Amino acid sequence: MSEQTSDTPLSRNTPMESFINHKNATGMQCGNYTIDLPELKPGQQYRFHFDATACVGCHCCEVACNEQNANPDDIKWRRVGELEAGSFPDTLQLFNSMSCNHCIDPECLKGCPTESYIKLDNGIVFHDDPTCIGCQYCTWNCPYEVPVFNPDRGIVTKCHMCVDKLEAGQTPACVQACPAGAIQIEAVDIDKWLAEDMAKEGVAPHLPDVEITKPTTRYTLPELPEGERFRPADEHILKPAHPEWPLVFMTVLTQLSVGAFAAVFFGQVLRSIGLALPAPDALTALLAVLPAMIGLPLSALHLGRPGLAITAMKNWRSSWLSREAIALGAFTAVATFVPLLYYLGVSSALLLFVEAIALGVGLYGIYAQSMIYRIKARPSWNRKSTTKRFFGTGYVGFLLIATLLLLREGANGATVLLSVAMLAGMAQILLIFEEVSFYRHLDKEDPLFYQLDRTRILLQEHFGNIKKWRLYSLVAFALILPFVAVVLSAASLPHAAAAIALVATLGAFASEIAGRYLFYRTVVPLGLAGNFFAGNQRH
Amino acid sequence: MSLIQKAKAFLGFDIKEEKYALVDDPFFGKVAKTKAPEKWVRSTCGYCGVGCGMYIGVKNGEAVYSKGDPKHPVNMGTLCPKGLSEHRMVRAKSRIASPLLRKNGALEPVSWDEAFSHTAERFKRIQAEHGKGAVAVISTGQLLTEEFYMLGKFVQLGLGTNNYDGNTTLCMASAVMGYKQTFGSDGPVGCYEDFEKADVIMLIGANIADNHPILKLHIARNKKKPTIIVVDPRKSKTAQMADIYVPIKPRTDLALINGLCHIIMEQGWEDETFIRNRTEGYTEFKKHIMAHYPPQEVAHITGIDVKTLYELARIYAGADAAMSAWTMGVNQSALGTDTVSAICNLALITGNLGKEGGAPMSLTGQCNAMGTREFGFTSSIPGYRNYADENDRREFAEIIGVDVERIPTERGYAYPQIIDAIDRGEIKALWVVATNPLVSFPDQNRLRNALKKLDILVVQDAFMSDTAEIADVVFAAATWSEKEGCYTNSERRCNYAKKAIEPYANSKADFYIVKAFSTYFDGVHDMLFAHLNEPRDAFEEIKRVSKGRLCDYSGMSYELIEALGGIQWPCNETYPEGKKRLYDETMACPTPSGKARLLALDWQPLSESTCETTPLILNTGRTVEQFHTRTKTGTIGILDALAPEAWIDISPKDAAKLQVKSGDRIAVSGNRGRVENIVVKVTETVAEGSVFVPFHFNTQLINAVTLPEFDPKSFEPNYKQCAIQLHSEAVPEGIRYETDEIGGYLENLSVETKEKQATSETIEARE
Repeated sequence: MSEQTSDTPLSRNTPMESFINHKNATGMQCGNYTIDLPELKPGQQYRFHFDATACVGCHCCEVACNEQNANPDDIKWRRVGELEAGSFPDTLQLFNSMSCNHCIDPECLKGCPTESYIKLDNGIVFHDDPTCIGCQYCTWNCPYEVPVFNPDRGIVTKCHMCVDKLEAGQTPACVQACPAGAIQIEAVDIDKWLAEDMAKEGVAPHLPDVEITKPTTRYTLPELPEGERFRPADEHILKPAHPEWPLVFMTVLTQLSVGAFAAVFFGQVLRSIGLALPAPDALTALLAVLPAMIGLPLSALHLGRPGLAITAMKNWRSSWLSREAIALGAFTAVATFVPLLYYLGVSSALLLFVEAIALGVGLYGIYAQSMIYRIKARPSWNRKSTTKRFFGTGYVGFLLIATLLLLREGANGATVLLSVAMLAGMAQILLIFEEVSFYRHLDKEDPLFYQLDRTRILLQEHFGNIKKWRLYSLVAFALILPFVAVVLSAASLPHAAAAIALVATLGAFASEIAGRYLFYRTVVPLGLAGNFFAGNQRH
Repeated sequence: MSLIQKAKAFLGFDIKEEKYALVDDPFFGKVAKTKAPEKWVRSTCGYCGVGCGMYIGVKNGEAVYSKGDPKHPVNMGTLCPKGLSEHRMVRAKSRIASPLLRKNGALEPVSWDEAFSHTAERFKRIQAEHGKGAVAVISTGQLLTEEFYMLGKFVQLGLGTNNYDGNTTLCMASAVMGYKQTFGSDGPVGCYEDFEKADVIMLIGANIADNHPILKLHIARNKKKPTIIVVDPRKSKTAQMADIYVPIKPRTDLALINGLCHIIMEQGWEDETFIRNRTEGYTEFKKHIMAHYPPQEVAHITGIDVKTLYELARIYAGADAAMSAWTMGVNQSALGTDTVSAICNLALITGNLGKEGGAPMSLTGQCNAMGTREFGFTSSIPGYRNYADENDRREFAEIIGVDVERIPTERGYAYPQIIDAIDRGEIKALWVVATNPLVSFPDQNRLRNALKKLDILVVQDAFMSDTAEIADVVFAAATWSEKEGCYTNSERRCNYAKKAIEPYANSKADFYIVKAFSTYFDGVHDMLFAHLNEPRDAFEEIKRVSKGRLCDYSGMSYELIEALGGIQWPCNETYPEGKKRLYDETMACPTPSGKARLLALDWQPLSESTCETTPLILNTGRTVEQFHTRTKTGTIGILDALAPEAWIDISPKDAAKLQVKSGDRIAVSGNRGRVENIVVKVTETVAEGSVFVPFHFNTQLINAVTLPEFDPKSFEPNYKQCAIQLHSEAVPEGIRYETDEIGGYLENLSVETKEKQATSETIEARE
């Protein structure tokens, strides 16, 4: 501290001096490093107020935030969204500086499998770094794209309203830095906010429906032109979403496995009611569970902290991700015993019982898996067809078991499985047509139009070829080849039929991988409008 | 990394909590632990002319934090994004570590002695062969005042060449000459506090939201809710603040201001007492304005309807205190000087001078453009003295103890004239200090060709700029935070910038570069710098040089400047703590009569207007995240990501003609050059037929297209308007020119004169 001798200005007027004097002088919270906030009364929490009529779009808040928190340049806890409406000279440029909205009903918190989000007594939605496993599910769930994955740390981090500073009477970095005084901290009466004010003062152009998470940020907006469309500055940036390769394989393999297991169970049921069909055995059961055994651990690869994957099961109360992890974990564990039971030759009843449990848990697991994606923040995922498709993929499992049957048992019984596979394959094709029709008839008035239309563009323009391949391969491998296998098998050419079924299985698997790849890549999340160059948020 | 560490990192057992932790700092509260400073050094920002007070956090001899000083009257604790990240440019990869000399075509590190002796020997030889003036110097607005003073003395009195100018000619010169015309001297008359006190704030060609965001703080503090008028052909971020946005046609502001004066005088809204007591030239002025700038004519020129003109005049003249502030939209124009004076005219006839909230205020672009104006020895002798005035020359010579014969009797070549002289072969050596003409000067192709003719190009810079890349010798300079001295901001506030850390590697502060270099010239050091051993000594000499002058520093000291958070000159016995506003009732203007001059000034149309091959008007400027040629801000990741390359704002109508949308890439061509690969931003912030491109980027060098036309009084380039064509992939030939339809009386007017007939014939022939 050699610079600060007793008579230097710094020690006479420290930056931490009385906020009241400063506020009297400036009339604003900004500038000073200390802040006086009212004590929260029961039923109140802290929130941001953003004055869009004062903001000049200077990005001071963004830079100050990163400087305060030592975040890398591309990890933005606060961003400035840019919108434009109207035509010259009556143009309105609207800036929206947003960090976390410290929501009353935070989706990040509800979905977090490790319970790493805490709604503090003062209302701040706080992220507990040490327990985070970097699954990034919160980055999907937040309709404002607030939580951001920091690959340097392997975890997600987010704005905490500089809670440490607030508690010490210090100004949050963004508030301190704003030269327009456009960002302030206020106390809000939660019930009154929900009942009256949120619908009026909590809304701003291009932002998601406040009902999703009930954000607390209060907006002061300029007079908005009526009926004008707001054009986000980053409208031209349409980057496909992260491909999530581990998840592409994990979901398809687990779904395939549950499908195959259903085929085994189906066989066991038919046998036990006395039909003369080939009995499943240890090898069949092993083949059925194998994809799940490979697929499930793959999911850990998408985590920032794979070593802690097991803690994903923690939040079974509110997170579909935890439920999926528990259910599919249990399915794989129980289903792994089934080949052993066959090998040991236990009674048919016991087999049926264990298989029924495994299958039940597995089906619930796939349902939970699909519900992970049924989130409001990601409109193209949040459709019933997602659940249908996830179950539909199971037909590949039927093809797999049918192939094994053809190889080992000849024509006997495989046609049953092939028929089921063809039916399910047909359903998948119908779902594709449903999707095509859905995107063809998007409603411009739909509040989700911006995101859905961008998904459409991604599907048509960026991934048109994969999309075509997905459709044609589905017809070929889920309908035509299984049909050929049925014909060959009827013509007592089981080996030829087996070869064809094998090709169908592999082809259908590839088709499902392609479909799932499209699913991940073409999602367009809700969120803040972005910057012309930097876009809206890192993914 | 060991295998175990790798495995641990992969599995995610380390979330680097320490790296992202906060710790308590006794002065600023919570700060990031990894860069928690050992000490804070109070200083001043080194980017723009706003002049923000700040603290530099220092850890292990490196600058690690920049934080706004809440006690500083300019910024009250805030900083713009550039200031907030300023410490990050100090150790950028592009810093120049040691002097460089071109050997066998490549720049190689050499000792200071080798760099100096090589340069001195070349300078001497060139001056012996071609005359003293064959060596020219172009400096900057970025050095500290003490450094400008050293450099100016050395160049004018040591090297003996008056072909010395700064890049301030590219930004502030018109304000300087305009103020001189009107008030008899340079010196911004108002202060930032006027933003807080004004009833009306008229921003003309000033995009403060992008370029001086901290000034928004002062407007936000204005409790009177002032009426904000923004005059700009572009609906800039600043225009968003406006209560009244005035979308004038490009470079018609002089006509607009004259038109407002007309209405005010026509309606009798002028301040007669003020005009009578404090101004001169009113009669001629009124006659001129009333004869030539009737509202209908002005409406036609500016594109602003008569009703709005009356409304503007009424609001401006009706305000108790009206402030007008301008920046480059006014200065960077071939009519810059006169437009500045016209703005002063408007302020004068409404009595807005020397009072709270009422001032015609020029906002400067660089941190110390003012310092070089005051003591830089370029367009005037230090202390706002005239070359032509014998008394001024003698007085200065006596104070600094040199022979009066050494003081030049006239200003040498201005910046653009230096380039011309290089092109002609008259100037053989150029020394460029802390500026980057290879991005910033207009008509790049011509500039680059001219520079090839030099015998030697010396560049003194802290960063490996585009210009440094082509230099023969590079002097490695220290930068902000590594040196000590003063910056003067737009409101004449002299701020103290303290040295916080040692200069990078083998670089030197510009003060010491000049001082050391002078020893290579016989007797020069002893004559000029014998007693100037550190910046403080130069500051003491500046105080003597300025005593009794308008820019009087005689009452200042580094200690007092620090204690007061900067001092607005004049600071002397009369004004011991400085003076907020110039030319109030107690202070006469430095004109012979002591009164401000009302000047009869004329608007002129653009010299390069749109035509068939170039149907659009190009406007250039800055963006908030970047500074000038990006030698500093381009090295800062977070700023670079927000604006990594140039873009072109074009209206949806023009975009439709070119069949482009945002994100597409197009080329810009003009009469002097072509720029490829500019990303399109379709926006309603520009009018149809107008486009905007920021000038920061060497990747899309828009100054290859801009016009080398200069204000005849200030030599400032007309950067803001030139005619261009756009070329998209779909429409490579560009936009079709649509002639203005002529209607009404003019439609039936036949052209009689022979000359005009000839013109129309040629036009027909061409068609």
